[in-house]
Amino acid sequence: MFSLQHHIRVKTNRERVTARRDFLKAVSVAAVAGGAVSWTDRISAAASEMRSNGKACILLWMAGGPSQFETFSPLAGHANGGATKAITTSVPGIEIADNFPSMAKMMDDVAIVRSITSKEGSHPRASFYMHHGYLPMGGVKFPTLGANVAHQIGDAACELPSYVRIGGRGQNSGDGGFLGVDYDPLILANADRPPQNTRPMSTDDRYARRLNLLRGLETDFGRSEGSDVVSDHRKLVDSAAEMILSPKMEAFDLDREKTNVRDAYGRSQFGSSCLLARRLIENGVTFVEINVGGWDTHQDNFTKVKELAGQIDSPMAQLITDLKSRGMLDDTLVVWMGEFGRTPKINPRGGRDHFPKVFNVALAGGGVKGGQVIGRTSPDGSEVADRPVQPKDLFQTVYTTLGINPNHENMSLVGRPIRLVDEGSVVTELLG
Amino acid sequence: MRIRDTLVWAAIIAAFGTVLAPAAPISAEPAHAERTVGKTAREVDRRLASELHKNTADLAPAAADATWLRRVWLDTVGDIPSPEHATAFVLDPDPKKRERVLAELVANPQFGHNWARYFRDVVLYRRVEERAVLAADSVTAWLTEEINEGSGWDKVARDFITCTGDVRENGATAIVFAQDGRTEETTAEIARIFLGIQIQCAQCHDHPYDRWSREDFHELAAFFPRTTLRQVVSATKRSFEVGFNDNPRIRGKGDNANRTGAPEHYMPDLDDPQAPGTRMQPKFFLTGTELDFGTSDAARRGTAAELITKSPWFAKAMVNRMWAELVGEGFYEPVDDIGPDREASAPETIDYLAEQFAANDYDLKWLVQVIASTDAYGRESRPRRLPDDVPFTANVVQPLRADQLFNSLLSALSISETDRVPFDFKNEAAKAYGARITPRLIFNAAFGYDPSEPRESVSGSIPQALALMNTPQLNVAMSAGSRLRTTALGKMIASIDDDEQLVTELYLKTLSREPSDSELADALAYGESVGDRSEAAEDLLWALINSSEFSHRR
Repeated sequence: MFSLQHHIRVKTNRERVTARRDFLKAVSVAAVAGGAVSWTDRISAAASEMRSNGKACILLWMAGGPSQFETFSPLAGHANGGATKAITTSVPGIEIADNFPSMAKMMDDVAIVRSITSKEGSHPRASFYMHHGYLPMGGVKFPTLGANVAHQIGDAACELPSYVRIGGRGQNSGDGGFLGVDYDPLILANADRPPQNTRPMSTDDRYARRLNLLRGLETDFGRSEGSDVVSDHRKLVDSAAEMILSPKMEAFDLDREKTNVRDAYGRSQFGSSCLLARRLIENGVTFVEINVGGWDTHQDNFTKVKELAGQIDSPMAQLITDLKSRGMLDDTLVVWMGEFGRTPKINPRGGRDHFPKVFNVALAGGGVKGGQVIGRTSPDGSEVADRPVQPKDLFQTVYTTLGINPNHENMSLVGRPIRLVDEGSVVTELLG
Repeated sequence: MRIRDTLVWAAIIAAFGTVLAPAAPISAEPAHAERTVGKTAREVDRRLASELHKNTADLAPAAADATWLRRVWLDTVGDIPSPEHATAFVLDPDPKKRERVLAELVANPQFGHNWARYFRDVVLYRRVEERAVLAADSVTAWLTEEINEGSGWDKVARDFITCTGDVRENGATAIVFAQDGRTEETTAEIARIFLGIQIQCAQCHDHPYDRWSREDFHELAAFFPRTTLRQVVSATKRSFEVGFNDNPRIRGKGDNANRTGAPEHYMPDLDDPQAPGTRMQPKFFLTGTELDFGTSDAARRGTAAELITKSPWFAKAMVNRMWAELVGEGFYEPVDDIGPDREASAPETIDYLAEQFAANDYDLKWLVQVIASTDAYGRESRPRRLPDDVPFTANVVQPLRADQLFNSLLSALSISETDRVPFDFKNEAAKAYGARITPRLIFNAAFGYDPSEPRESVSGSIPQALALMNTPQLNVAMSAGSRLRTTALGKMIASIDDDEQLVTELYLKTLSREPSDSELADALAYGESVGDRSEAAEDLLWALINSSEFSHRR
């Protein structure tokens, strides 16, 4: 629970803050008396507070495996490129697919890696790999990228969860793993709807009283039989209670934005998700993941990708623009990726199948040097011709960019140290 | 026991007699079945002891009656016992009361409902076709009937594998529908659910650690290419129909991606995805049994069903899954990844239990009775063990599945499912596909999880915690109500004068046990501090419903 006792840094709405302080006092005194706060909880809370460095990350996850050719690695002039045309961008010499006219204008801030290469061609394994930097392994509950980032640099003083996932039924997207429920993502099905049931059904005083009663209830059960579930459950109840009593809940309310801002992001689910991501980061959330499904284009690849790109191109460009104009881009890393790419050859159904051997990732902000392309493929797109980048290299880079030591070791539940990334090296060209 | 007036309870026992399950008919099980249950359970414990438990000091003690009763209710009928049932059971001096209650519970129709919902989740959580939620009702209704009638698990599997018909009328179509009728996906699911073998890893490449090759997988898939799935075009309902295509003039695609059925299955050429690939002859990887090219869909799927249900892995997969659900951990983990290349934690025990399950006609009621009669099941719970600890020294606390939690809420708050149920979570996905939206479905969307996932990876979430704490209508149901709208709590407060009894009743109503001395003292002190009896009772009920003990089975 112990972020509850933390110093509260809220600039607005003095009244509510005072009420909140009283509330926290009421809860925490009893909690300490009841022995609900373990020594490790205090230490870890303090440690993560010290580590917090103001950096944040937005992961735009393209579930299903987006075609590299129809996005940021067009193959104009080769039969494998299909009907997709290449367009010039704001950076001379860099061309991307014509499905992304708005992103083409943002190229100065964007770096494209065209030579990501992996061996994982099935959705569950590949999605796990690109979310965790590890392949699934029995017995080890690896934390997902967002959980590791939240654990390393999350702002424990923030009443909102450090890690929020918006939309979709992502496959193997992962959770806090052995880091525990504190680092599980808060999952929102829909960016336009704030989390439900966030208004206590009793006065603040009575709510605090009830929470204290609840905490005292489970001492017997929590002592032996259910010590693990009781402890997890308490953390959840505490984070939930803390969140909903926070004035920062307003971050979830997109209607607080001006009409022109909402219009700039677009009135679509992805547009709202991007705007919500920016609002959440502004309010102290460290990692926001936005899921966009539908990229598994075994059939009608060209029509489908055009449609999907039409949904994401403009909001994604607006997100980068907006972060930049608010001075947030240098500290906010935006990563666009999926679990793998698509086959260079077009199948008889006009589709492209799974292809992990060569695919692409786009990055912006967070100190990443924009306006560059890293890696090159063979003219037919079937091989990496220059600068192969393994998923583990990418994870090394993402952690490093966020000011996190990729070699940091966490102790897993079985007492085995697990590094954030166990192999690979930083793609230094990406760092400014 | 904190029962002041034993006469009151004696009266309750007299009123309820020994019938402890709701509306349970007196067990008509033949004495023979009862004997094999007890005998098999004892043999399972004996084998576990010799394989794993040489050191009996590790073993958790047997669970107390109240704990055991709540556990066995949730595991059989998916609900919590009422205060009357809990009290009567604890006071019942019959040394055979556990056996008796167990037999009554598996004979209760709710037993079929509970496990039908479980297997609905097993099938539908892995859906690749979102609209498969349309089959949620039909698959639940069909499985409920099969399980309650005592059909063997082999019959259920055969029906799933050979299904045809409208997905809203024949629940057996659910696996094919959930996999969008696609040959490879359907094959993989059938192998996973009924054999516990994840052969789909061999779909794209030969797996380095498994013996199955790509050919093995695609030869198995060759039993299913002719299966079709088509949308039913009707002005009045949206549905789909599983069928077959034996008409050689309608040539579907080699991979049946368009769901119109293909005469034969083709294994794709990984180097040349545009090539048609290799035509595969149906062949069962575990026995080598083959069918000719050109065989009809009915013969293919019928043969596949026979081969799968006759395989020793069929019984083992089910035993492993049910054991994991009841004892908290499978012999193999995850429950659906067993097979000859995996190691069981107690191989002789699971082999024996699987053989006995087959010898007892794959009877699910029998299997649940046997497992729930073992000492391994009846022990107190402990937190999930670490990999190096000895397995099965204790039962394991499990998060309730959504249906169990939903039923428990209804029981604890005395709400009937047909009443206006206090949940208002949105589920637009289901709505969009025209499924019947019920409060239970909505609740399941918010609280459900894939029951095949390793249970330690299932954790609660902030939205779930918020839903139980703050859903407005649920708070009304947890309140003392008003003169116009009475609630169960309101009636309790009015009818029980003694605070101690009121607290005890609230504990029994929610956690199916009496409070400990310190819990009672705390609750009474809380009441004192609040001053208002009604408010204090509301707060206590709210806290009990929001406790982790309520949302778990210990």
